[in-house]
Amino acid sequence: MSDVLLAVENLTVDIGGTAVVDGVSFAMRRGEVLALVGESGCGKSLTAMALLRLLPPAARLAAGRVVLEGQDLAALPERAMRRLRGEALSIIFQEPTASLDPLATVGSQIVEAYRVHRGVTRAEARRAARDMLDAVGIPDAERRLEQYPFELSGGMCQRIMIAIALVCGPSLLVADEPTTALDVTIQAQILDLMRKLVAERGASILIITHDMGVVADIADRVAVMYAGRVVEVAPVAELFASPRHPYTALLLASVPRLDATPKAQLATIEGRVPSPDEFGVGCRFAGRCPLAVQRCHEAPPALADIGRDHAAACWRSADVARLMEPAS
Amino acid sequence: MAGYAFWRLVQAAIAVFGVMTIVFVIMRLAGDPTLLLVPEGATREHIEALRHELGFDRPIAVQYVAYLADVLRLDFGQSVVQRLPATAILASRLPYTLELALGASAIALLVGIPAGVAMAVWRGGALERLLATFVVTGQSMPTFLSGILLILVFGVLLGWLPTSGSGGLSSLVLPSIALGALSMATFARMARIAVVDELSKDYVRAARARGLSQGAVVVRHVLRNAAVPVVTIAALEFGNLLAGAVIVETVFAWPGIGQLAIQSIQSRDFVVVQVVVLFVSVIYVAMSLLADLAYAWLDPRIRLHG
Ligand SMILES: Nc1ncnc2c1ncn2[C@@H]1O[C@H](COP(=O)(O)OP(=O)(O)OP(=O)(O)O)[C@@H](O)[C@H]1O
Ligand code: SF4
Ligand SMILES: [Mg+2]
Repeated sequence: MSDVLLAVENLTVDIGGTAVVDGVSFAMRRGEVLALVGESGCGKSLTAMALLRLLPPAARLAAGRVVLEGQDLAALPERAMRRLRGEALSIIFQEPTASLDPLATVGSQIVEAYRVHRGVTRAEARRAARDMLDAVGIPDAERRLEQYPFELSGGMCQRIMIAIALVCGPSLLVADEPTTALDVTIQAQILDLMRKLVAERGASILIITHDMGVVADIADRVAVMYAGRVVEVAPVAELFASPRHPYTALLLASVPRLDATPKAQLATIEGRVPSPDEFGVGCRFAGRCPLAVQRCHEAPPALADIGRDHAAACWRSADVARLMEPAS
Repeated sequence: MAGYAFWRLVQAAIAVFGVMTIVFVIMRLAGDPTLLLVPEGATREHIEALRHELGFDRPIAVQYVAYLADVLRLDFGQSVVQRLPATAILASRLPYTLELALGASAIALLVGIPAGVAMAVWRGGALERLLATFVVTGQSMPTFLSGILLILVFGVLLGWLPTSGSGGLSSLVLPSIALGALSMATFARMARIAVVDELSKDYVRAARARGLSQGAVVVRHVLRNAAVPVVTIAALEFGNLLAGAVIVETVFAWPGIGQLAIQSIQSRDFVVVQVVVLFVSVIYVAMSLLADLAYAWLDPRIRLHG
């Protein structure tokens, strides 16, 4: 299994005594695009930030391993972790404009990202920055490097963020809703760009999104999260064709059509996500699940392999296909 | 940016004009200085003659127009008490106040800003609590009280430092602390707020995601962003220092323009009062103008498009 780039095992993030990310596990191969989907507040962003150990002050990495290229990031001292951020794994966020220092030129921020890891001269770093702008499709690089974030559009800023993230050639790019703040045509361009860069550089992308259109567009595999847990993992085509967790099935049923608009958001499902103090001992989806039985309320189903490269955490995963409406 | 600067200059001129007018009127309402100038038992004719000579028998409006005309010609009048040009009196006192204001600014900036930044970066820790105590003390103690306490402790009890008058660097220490304490607290508080505010912004997390340490992010990004609001108040604080100088100079018998203002008010030497107030208000307004321009210059969003 040397093609495994990242193995996240039992990742648990604690806020004020409750596990808002609870035993999350998934793996990624080299060059793969994995989408992490789920309703708002299910813990996607915290999972992403935990990978880089950049959790907000209130949150704590309580347990778990994050093995990147054989090295457990969760156990690294902060100094060693710092050397990996931007170098081995990078992250970009939803709000590209807010992610740039408003008082520094975009060029200086790319240069900084390069120089912090490579002991090179400013001129060399600047050359790298210019090459990066070419790579992310920003014309007139020399002039752009001197501009401030407020002089660029949101789409441009996101290209800059991608340039910053990739300038040191990381093997993993985490993208937390990278296109949500952008308008539709720009979204498509940014996704294209990300896909192209992965292909060229052999990097992997963990993309977090609400948008099934984005999933269908870019992902190889999908991990579905619900209330802090991963409930299903499968290749994208298989997940769309035969979901094995009731939540996934409802999620897909509520999307109009897979190939319709890329803006197809996760539609609402009856009921609401339980808050952490309502989690209880059983399956966290039990309160909204049409297939729930007594057992579901008593014990949590573990994420179990149910086929080649397909896992689900449901006591009744075998019944989902038979009992639930197929995605129309 | 040039249009903006011009507009601010016009506003500044209006503000100074307003202050001049108010001071002029208040000084006239405060009473006729002629009576303080004549020797005891002077005759009515003598008083009238002096009043006429000084021009106080004219209506206020006429006096005011004459005053404005003089000011425009940069003629600030003669002290009616000392019979010297008011500007010469001001100039003789000014170096003392500047020295004091610089000393106080140095203490306020060099202690206040690092303290504020430290409180923000290590917030929630023991260091923050310690510094906060310090800041609250500086902030809540009236200047005359901190002045007297400083004199008691370092002058009278310990005998380390001179407590009265101006003579060398050592005599500057206590009045500078007394005058700077309030601004120091203001800087610390503002710097703390500004840095905490910046630290919660997305670009900080993004910069850490590039591989920068928290300290490097603070030094390279946060401080510059936090400086924008702090610089603005720094210039205003300098104006406040001049106001505070009135009290501190009195407590420490410091021969600057604050003391001059008090002495001139007491002797109704309003020509001198007017020139002191005019001077302080010009400095104050110039400082706030400077603050605005610095703000604009620091922030490229205003610098390039304002
Ligand atoms: N800084 C924080 N302090 C306290 N609670 C937080 C903090 N950040 C997140 N949470 C809580 O943790 C849970 C998971 O948050 P997270 O941001 O990971 O959700 P998400 O899946 O990314 O949602 P979204 O799709 O809205 O971005 C939420 O219930 C949220 O309220
Ligand atoms: S375990 Fe039970 S409640 Fe949970 S998803 Fe499966 S059927 Fe529904
Ligand atoms: Mg999120």
